[in-house]
Amino acid sequence: MSSNRIMTVSRAISEAIAQEMRADPTVFIMGEDIGTYGGIFGATTGLLAEFGKERVRDTPISETGFIGAGVGAAMAGMRPIVELMFVDFFGVCMDAIYNLAAKNIYFSGGNYKVPMVIMTATGGGYSDAGQHSQTLHATFAHLPGLKVVAPSNAYDAKGLMISAIRDDSPVMFMFHKGLQGLAWMASPEGAASELPEEAYAIPFGEAKVVRPGKDVTIVSLSMMVHRSLDAAEELATQGIEAEVIDLRTIVPLDRKKVIESVRKTGRLVVVDEDYKSFGLTGEIIATVAEEDPTLLKAAPQRLAVPDVPIPYSRPMEQYVLPSADKIVAAVLTTMKKGA
Amino acid sequence: MADITIAPDLWDANINPEGIIANWFYADGSTVAAGATIAELMVEKTTFDIAAPSAGILHIAVPKDGAVKPGTVIGTIDAA
Repeated sequence: MSSNRIMTVSRAISEAIAQEMRADPTVFIMGEDIGTYGGIFGATTGLLAEFGKERVRDTPISETGFIGAGVGAAMAGMRPIVELMFVDFFGVCMDAIYNLAAKNIYFSGGNYKVPMVIMTATGGGYSDAGQHSQTLHATFAHLPGLKVVAPSNAYDAKGLMISAIRDDSPVMFMFHKGLQGLAWMASPEGAASELPEEAYAIPFGEAKVVRPGKDVTIVSLSMMVHRSLDAAEELATQGIEAEVIDLRTIVPLDRKKVIESVRKTGRLVVVDEDYKSFGLTGEIIATVAEEDPTLLKAAPQRLAVPDVPIPYSRPMEQYVLPSADKIVAAVLTTMKKGA
Repeated sequence: MADITIAPDLWDANINPEGIIANWFYADGSTVAAGATIAELMVEKTTFDIAAPSAGILHIAVPKDGAVKPGTVIGTIDAA
């Protein structure tokens, strides 16, 4: 059934969870303030009223305990969704995530599956300082055994959440706070999108060309897709046609689509809200270089947080975050070089 | 034509004089079903869903981020 509803990302996520909970009694959710409050970023609104306390479980502030409980529940045959309120809080539960959830499928020779979703809020831009503003995409993508998802809009959020719940491996579902469509935090035009009523799954590992172009490839994900689209709009007024790719999932990574695009454009700019060094931006550039370094007509450019904790001060925070203006400047730099 | 009215007792206006339209879930001029969730209000940190009072074409009177009070007519629905 199609729909003309324009729903927010937060509602898309809660709708996806509700539909999977109706279809599969082993799906349940737990986390801090996910029940009565509905999740501080609105991702679980309405679930407690429909499914009750057994399946929608408010937890104490003890990630070490309840993320570990999620791993155990998953190995015992349930399909838990566990919310880590801010990704920044992973420190106290990382053993459960990377030594248990990520590895137990391997350690058991495939005899145990860990069908668990760790749903977590990412991103800055609203002066919440260095322990509440990180994205940490690469921190999780770096560790074998975890799938990593970071949608940019409501349609993708619903389809990717449904795939995450149905997946037999642990999935980090990383949603950006600034895309949720919350009344107290502005979200970009395009984050809310038309949302089909029925349940649908978007396969992992399929990036999406969200704006076609022939002159330069801009690769991004999550919030940075919107910054990249704004930049592409500005570049179009200068006669430059940028192709914008939304990766949608980092693990698995759709390297093929990136290479295909760069083969066409010959120029590459990668934009990520994570830290710059040892991260996604370098991985994308390496992907192209390993395929064929002669695909590039000019040195690739990358935009990311310049290896400092995210500042609280608004001017300082805005200075370190990638923006449409910075993307435009990076594209212009790469356009000047080469043929 | 049906008015989309915020219920006069939805919240205590003596405590919070006004809220805002947090989101419209349909574009102006869209066809909506009776009972569909068409908008979301925010009052302090609480949100309220607003349902379509009847089926028809939605006309938005108060835009996203616009201020509202209990009793405000935020739009109308014309029978299709």
